[in-house]
Amino acid sequence: MHGDTMSFPVVLHLGPLQVTTTVATTWVIMALLVLVAWLVTRRLLLHPGRAQTVAEGIVSTIEEAIRAVAPNHVSLLLPFIATLWIFLVVANLCGLIPGVHSPTRDLSATAALAILVFLSVHWFGIRDQGLKAYLRHYLVPTPLLLPFHILSEITRTLALAVRLFGNIMSLEMAALLILLVAGFLAPVPILMLHVIEGLVQAYIFGMLALIYIASGLQTQQMRQEARNE
Amino acid sequence: MELSWSTFLLEIFNFLVLVWILKHFLYRPIQSVIARRQQDIDGRLAEAREKEAQAGQLQKDYEGRLAEWRSEREKSREALETELRSERVRREKLLADELEQQRSKSSAVDARRQGEQRRQLELQALEQGSRFAAKLLEQGAGPETETRLINLFLKSLAEMPEAQRLQLCEQIRDSAKAAPLRVASAHELDAGTRDKIEHGLAACLAREVACRFVEDPDLIAGVQVSLGAWTMGLNVRDELQGFAHLAPESVAG
Repeated sequence: MHGDTMSFPVVLHLGPLQVTTTVATTWVIMALLVLVAWLVTRRLLLHPGRAQTVAEGIVSTIEEAIRAVAPNHVSLLLPFIATLWIFLVVANLCGLIPGVHSPTRDLSATAALAILVFLSVHWFGIRDQGLKAYLRHYLVPTPLLLPFHILSEITRTLALAVRLFGNIMSLEMAALLILLVAGFLAPVPILMLHVIEGLVQAYIFGMLALIYIASGLQTQQMRQEARNE
Repeated sequence: MELSWSTFLLEIFNFLVLVWILKHFLYRPIQSVIARRQQDIDGRLAEAREKEAQAGQLQKDYEGRLAEWRSEREKSREALETELRSERVRREKLLADELEQQRSKSSAVDARRQGEQRRQLELQALEQGSRFAAKLLEQGAGPETETRLINLFLKSLAEMPEAQRLQLCEQIRDSAKAAPLRVASAHELDAGTRDKIEHGLAACLAREVACRFVEDPDLIAGVQVSLGAWTMGLNVRDELQGFAHLAPESVAG
């Protein structure tokens, strides 16, 4: 881990952009995921092996979770939600590797993910219902509620970013502090807690994103059902 | 805690790239293979359902055939039972006929046997009666009986029908013209009786006859007139023999 727990050193510059360790770690995670994807999918069989079974199990589980919330948009939402879950699990847990910090410990990364969720809610909503119809749902039941709707969108996006960042950062800091005070063996329970917390936070972030997107999609559907009635 | 815009933008970019990569190189192939497997499973299920339907149809056919076979079996059994009943009736009738025939045959045999027994008993009774009478007359018969019998003989000669008398005369003429008539009696005859006999015979035969009188105690009482093979008379012995020999079997015995 780095000495300064709240700042991330710049590894290189890409023109005006600074590549910090967060971005570098993300690239490594991406490379790892791509490698795993290639290894798993290079020879897919109808009678799967162990790795293929695990991969199919993960994809099927995510599909089922999406189907439970938004049954009509499984194939539409699967790439975004599944990538979010898989990336967050790996990103949250990579902090367990000595000398590596989780990208999700960086507010810039969690904010980027939260902004992506915010944008995807509107993107999928507009794509499904059209711009006018989608924007109209902010005016129901009364246009007076528009500021509250907007405030709700901002706060939940902010909450997404801060919740993930705060949890992962606090876990890593706690582990670092215990490691510094008590030696190598003492942080093991904390690290176990880190595993659970990392999985839980990934699940919560992905599930909230799914619920936000699904609520944006189902608003129009509910309105149409009410109109039909 | 500070927000790095470079990191922020690069993370957005990185994530979108990752979404694209995983979508094309992980989710789609896996979903595709799952879909193919599902299709394969659906195909097998459809095949299994088809086979199940075929099996159901086969079972239905089999049950139908089984029911048909049972029905045929029932019909055959009924036909067989009917045939057996008629055969039994026919055999019972045959048996009854045979029994009736046997019974009639047995009855006939019994009747014949009883008749035979009765005849045997009658013959035996006749024989015994004859013996008894012979025994009795041997002791009880005397000259007076003989005289009475001679009188009866002469009376019968005198009362003989004409046709019979002529036939008798013819026979005697043919058998021995010159030979004397042999007259046997159980007791010695006196001269008067002898004359009466000679006169009676001459009257019957309508010619002169010569008689040779002899005694024959076996006659018991009465007379016997004989010339060659021809014999006539009236005596106890012959009458008893005639009585005893009423049945031809007794004579043969």
